[in-house]
Amino acid sequence: MSENPHRLTVLKPEGNVPESHQIGDEAAIPVLVTRLGESIGFFEKNLSNALGWARKNSIFQYPFVTACCGMEYMSAMAGRYDIARFGAEFPRFSPRQADLLMIVGTINVKQSPVLKLVYEQMTEPKWVMAFGVCASSGGFYDNYATMQGADRVIPVDVYVPGCPPRPEQVLDGLKILQDKIQHQLHRAATLERAPDVELETKKRSFLGKLLGK
Amino acid sequence: MSQALVDLVREKFPEAVTGSHSHRGDEVVIVRREDLVEVIRFLRDDPQADMKLLRQIAGVDLLTWRTEMTGGGSLASIEAPEYALQKTPQVEPRFYVAYNLYSITRHHALRVRVELRSDDVKLPSIHSLYKTADWWERYLYDMFGFEFEGHPNLQRLLLYPEFQGHPLRKDYPVRKRQLLVPELDFPDLIRGPGPGPGGAGLPMSQTHVGRHNVDPDAYD
Repeated sequence: MSENPHRLTVLKPEGNVPESHQIGDEAAIPVLVTRLGESIGFFEKNLSNALGWARKNSIFQYPFVTACCGMEYMSAMAGRYDIARFGAEFPRFSPRQADLLMIVGTINVKQSPVLKLVYEQMTEPKWVMAFGVCASSGGFYDNYATMQGADRVIPVDVYVPGCPPRPEQVLDGLKILQDKIQHQLHRAATLERAPDVELETKKRSFLGKLLGK
Repeated sequence: MSQALVDLVREKFPEAVTGSHSHRGDEVVIVRREDLVEVIRFLRDDPQADMKLLRQIAGVDLLTWRTEMTGGGSLASIEAPEYALQKTPQVEPRFYVAYNLYSITRHHALRVRVELRSDDVKLPSIHSLYKTADWWERYLYDMFGFEFEGHPNLQRLLLYPEFQGHPLRKDYPVRKRQLLVPELDFPDLIRGPGPGPGGAGLPMSQTHVGRHNVDPDAYD
């Protein structure tokens, strides 16, 4: 478990507040820890762990198959390599039901708006795997029509090299992605709430007094 | 094999044919651009020729043909270097357009070639003779920029309208990168146009709840 960025840090008695912290940069300003904050952090961490465990073990993929890597994808899906062992059992052919967008094959420039639309149709939380060198970097298609890596259009979480990659590499990439998912911060609700202006003002005035400003 | 066919065309159009040769069993007839449609119409309708199948229309760029330089001079750059183009001797006529015709009944083939100078890449369309010429001519317009006069819908076939240049021309830089295609504009099919998300003619990416609308600390 990585360091939780929302975990409230203890203000030391000597007041080691760096100069670079600006008013308005609340996430970076340490505040006095309370029992309430501590317990919220405890539950948040446990909830995040549980959600991460659930999410990493039930990855529904959307295979965006455009080229020969699709053969290796089928092989990784089928009985011998059996990606279902890692919970990534169901390919969902609707992006709205998928967690993982697998870009399997070459993406050319004309296709990129379609890929972006598919990505945007996926619901949060979502991850992207670039399957094979063509999706990762364009591969040997260094030409006029090919997108030099799908990450020019959408963010990619895991790159699986190979032309095409062996199914073991795909499984390895999936394990890496599972690690990443487990170590992310998951929340029960993800939509941003409107900032509480009154509370923010109070916090600032309190901090201003504390910092002698 | 189909030398008789060449003779037939020469006999019928003595002034249109500017040359003919045979390359590894393929007979080639070089015709003038003005007479192209008439020659092909004759080959299609004449009972001796009876070439009902247009196999392919191919384009050839001879810019680097004499030097055997295949664009390597511009490998390191995204622009075609001026000096490389200056060193390249101009070959005129620079372009060939080859019509590969075949007869299903008589089993003979003939290639009709038109030569184009680089400053004038217009030639007549044969869309009225063969329906398949529609997409072949659009393909050649896409890759070489030949302008087929009389074509009903001369647009790019494989590439997209925003593409700059014609990639199969030999002076197209090897490492040239194109700009990204604009995003698709998808209206909201269910709720229709309006001020809501996806409505009002806004691109979906601007109104859809994507990563940029979500708490950035939530997943990273």
